[in-house]
Amino acid sequence: MTGPIRKVALLVIAAFIVAAVHLTYISLTQGEKLSGHPLNRRQAGIEQTIVRGGIFDRRGEQLAETMWQGSRRQRLYPQGRASAHIVGYDSTQYGKSGLEAAYNGELLGLTGTAKLENLAARLLGRHPEGINLQLTVDSRLQELAADMLKGRRGAVVAIEPRTGKVLVMASSPAFDPGQIDRQFAEVSRDPASPLLNRTLQGLYLPGSTMKVVTGAVALSQSAATRQGTILCPGYLDIEGRRLGDIKTHGQVDFDRAMAVSCNTYFGRLGLALGAKTFSRGAAGFGFNSGLAFDLPVRNSVFPDAGTLNANGLAEAAIGQGGVAATPLQMALVTAAIANDGVMMKPFLVQTLAEANGRVLRQTRPEVLTRSVDRDTARRVMQAMVGAVVNGTGRPAAIPGVNVAGKTGSAENPHGEPHAWFVGVAPAEQPRVAVAVVVENAGHGGAVAAPIAREIMIQVLNER
Amino acid sequence: MLGQIGTGEMVSGGPVEAHPGRPVELSLLGYGTVIYLLGGVLFALAGQTGAGQSLPGAVGLAGAFVLTHFWLTLTHHRGDQLMLPLIGVLSALGEVELYRLSPALAIRQFWWICLGLVVLIVLTRWGKNYRNLSEYRYLFMAVVIILLVMTIVFGVTIGGARNWLSLGSFRFQPSEGVKILLVLFLTGFLDENRELLATGTRRFFGFQLPEPRYLGPLLLTWGITLLLLVFQRDLGTALIFFATFLVMVYIATSRGTYVGWGLALFLAGSATAYFLFPHVQERFAVWLNPWGMQAGGGYQVVQSLFAIGSGGLVGTGIGLGQPFLIPAVATDFIYAAVVEEMGLAGGIGVLLVYLLLIYRGYRTALAANSPAGMILAAGITSLLAIQTFVIVAGVTRLLPLTGITLPFISYGGSSMVANFALIGLLLNVSQDTARRSTGDAGEGAPS
Repeated sequence: MTGPIRKVALLVIAAFIVAAVHLTYISLTQGEKLSGHPLNRRQAGIEQTIVRGGIFDRRGEQLAETMWQGSRRQRLYPQGRASAHIVGYDSTQYGKSGLEAAYNGELLGLTGTAKLENLAARLLGRHPEGINLQLTVDSRLQELAADMLKGRRGAVVAIEPRTGKVLVMASSPAFDPGQIDRQFAEVSRDPASPLLNRTLQGLYLPGSTMKVVTGAVALSQSAATRQGTILCPGYLDIEGRRLGDIKTHGQVDFDRAMAVSCNTYFGRLGLALGAKTFSRGAAGFGFNSGLAFDLPVRNSVFPDAGTLNANGLAEAAIGQGGVAATPLQMALVTAAIANDGVMMKPFLVQTLAEANGRVLRQTRPEVLTRSVDRDTARRVMQAMVGAVVNGTGRPAAIPGVNVAGKTGSAENPHGEPHAWFVGVAPAEQPRVAVAVVVENAGHGGAVAAPIAREIMIQVLNER
Repeated sequence: MLGQIGTGEMVSGGPVEAHPGRPVELSLLGYGTVIYLLGGVLFALAGQTGAGQSLPGAVGLAGAFVLTHFWLTLTHHRGDQLMLPLIGVLSALGEVELYRLSPALAIRQFWWICLGLVVLIVLTRWGKNYRNLSEYRYLFMAVVIILLVMTIVFGVTIGGARNWLSLGSFRFQPSEGVKILLVLFLTGFLDENRELLATGTRRFFGFQLPEPRYLGPLLLTWGITLLLLVFQRDLGTALIFFATFLVMVYIATSRGTYVGWGLALFLAGSATAYFLFPHVQERFAVWLNPWGMQAGGGYQVVQSLFAIGSGGLVGTGIGLGQPFLIPAVATDFIYAAVVEEMGLAGGIGVLLVYLLLIYRGYRTALAANSPAGMILAAGITSLLAIQTFVIVAGVTRLLPLTGITLPFISYGGSSMVANFALIGLLLNVSQDTARRSTGDAGEGAPS
């Protein structure tokens, strides 16, 4: 009988080993998914006991804070709509968005060393405290941008070119994050999409602001120098199709073409560059590649070189056709030009600090990529200064300050063109690069440029 | 292979003196106490109220086991010295988790453990003569049938299964008693008839089969498990009974054909049950995809998986998890709570303790010097092993879930007392071997 007993014993041991391996598999490979599963009420239970970290602007102004109402915690957003898209909302019913979602673990103190300290706090019977975020944005600038976008759909992004710090990131229409539980049904169905962060998720035809990219790539490849001065007849014929221009510009060189936004000149530059070179150049400005940012960003698109025919190439050169960019992308392009051709990695979160003030992480400026060489960048800047001094960008001019800029208007099937403006001030020592898009607002100079102007004035007045 | 691991000599073989005492048992009993006390400290650190009560609980539990140890020493019991410490560790782990869930429940469980130890003592003192079990085998069977019929007629439905008998305010699960009686009956029956069953006299579809009168009781046992399935909707118990039954028949006869026939009957029974009973279909569907029905039938398994996933490697710590989100957490799902608060490490640790107990059980069977002893020890060990595996596999979704207790850890009076009784019987087999092999250097088991 010992034979069968041994066999049964081995079978039992094998069964227990299978059970142990299965348990290990669940715990190690699915543990994170299971513990963070939306139907797992543990997370919500834990969150209720934690003082969620606060979110502050660059000057220490509260953007989000946790208050206790009796034993229930409540998340308050003192700045309301102005910073709604970056701060996001935190709702037990509807989940989280913005930084509230992206930095959830940090805000709850569930990451890194904070995790252990919070375990200790809980063992001592105290409410664990999350990590505070200090942002690079300025709540007054946010307020200003929101004010100027009021009643319109659009976005404003401002970046410090030397560092990549995001100074303004405003999207309109907005929502009130403090009222999200009551208003979610309404705002989520609103056709104007107030929940959408247009600065990062809105893909627009860049229109003539794309000429900054086209011009920079063409200058760096000497294509602009070769082209020299051309005669603009008011249109460009390509393989039987006619690309219209705003008007007959006559004799135009690079600076003049930038100032008057001559489609003929830049269309021809695009053709001269060729699909491959142009596409590579656009990639150097961040098109078609993912951007590691504090919040999710949609990729800006430059058409695949293989699919570009001559017409597509000329259209891409003036920001029409298959090109699409987020407002953040165009702000980065402008900032790169302003920073001698070096694109800095944009960031929104400056420091992570514990409740007692101890700084856990400080974001340092980091080079993202070199988009073009220094001389090219300076040449483009010079041309953009011309556009503001005596070109389409005149509404962005600030007395006593050298402003560089480029207007744009993106044709679209939904009515009036979207108005664009990208600008830099002051041109000789750039402190701010800004990109503004206002949907269906006609030509860039009239609506977008004044918004950019106000932002730039405010930034320059700060220090 | 199992019989030849060296450390056993010191432990169960014992030195040669007439009354060597049980020093190994006493020293190992400390582990359960340490676990209990550590659990209480962690629980108190977690800031939970009621943590203070776990100190007298730990002292009480240690006292009860140590008293049992002294009794066994005084009566010169020569049974395996690892079993009492092992079930002590499991009981302590269960008590720690129960204190965390409900101190009142843990106190009740403490008294059940005490009652279990009393039953164990009674069995080790006055129930030693398992060799004569075959004389009472039909009495056992009669009691089994009476208990089951009473449950079917007067039974109370708790948690979907009609498997409780109620006597005034006192309720118990007859299936826990049936569990022991069935093992005893099978031991007696198989001990007497195993040679006839092993050889077989008739050919049936190419198989050697014994006379119907020898086969009859086996078919009766199979019928009983089906009865459980049909009338009590108690899938788990039916599964355990049937698997134990198959294992015992296989061990007694060494014939794989019985296992083959048994499995065929089991599959036929399962398929019939599947098509006849919607609750069996639901169990199966939930097993395949609990997420699709997490608001309904899948709720329990999904909550159990959440608990296991939230525990991570070392758990949240005792008192820091949220096991109350798990349904039936003190009974069927206590393993999920253990994994949540003690982590993967704790979950595997518990399985290892069971494996040690099971290992000692099979060694006892291998070393036994009579067929009855071998069948009884292997049967009891297999029963405990199968029950543990079925519920652990159920709460981790390795197998379809069936509601049964985790031996020595889950809350439950009938279950606790029955499992202590099984260990008492196992100790008797072990002591018998030790007695008869006194003077031998080794285990004296035929291999």
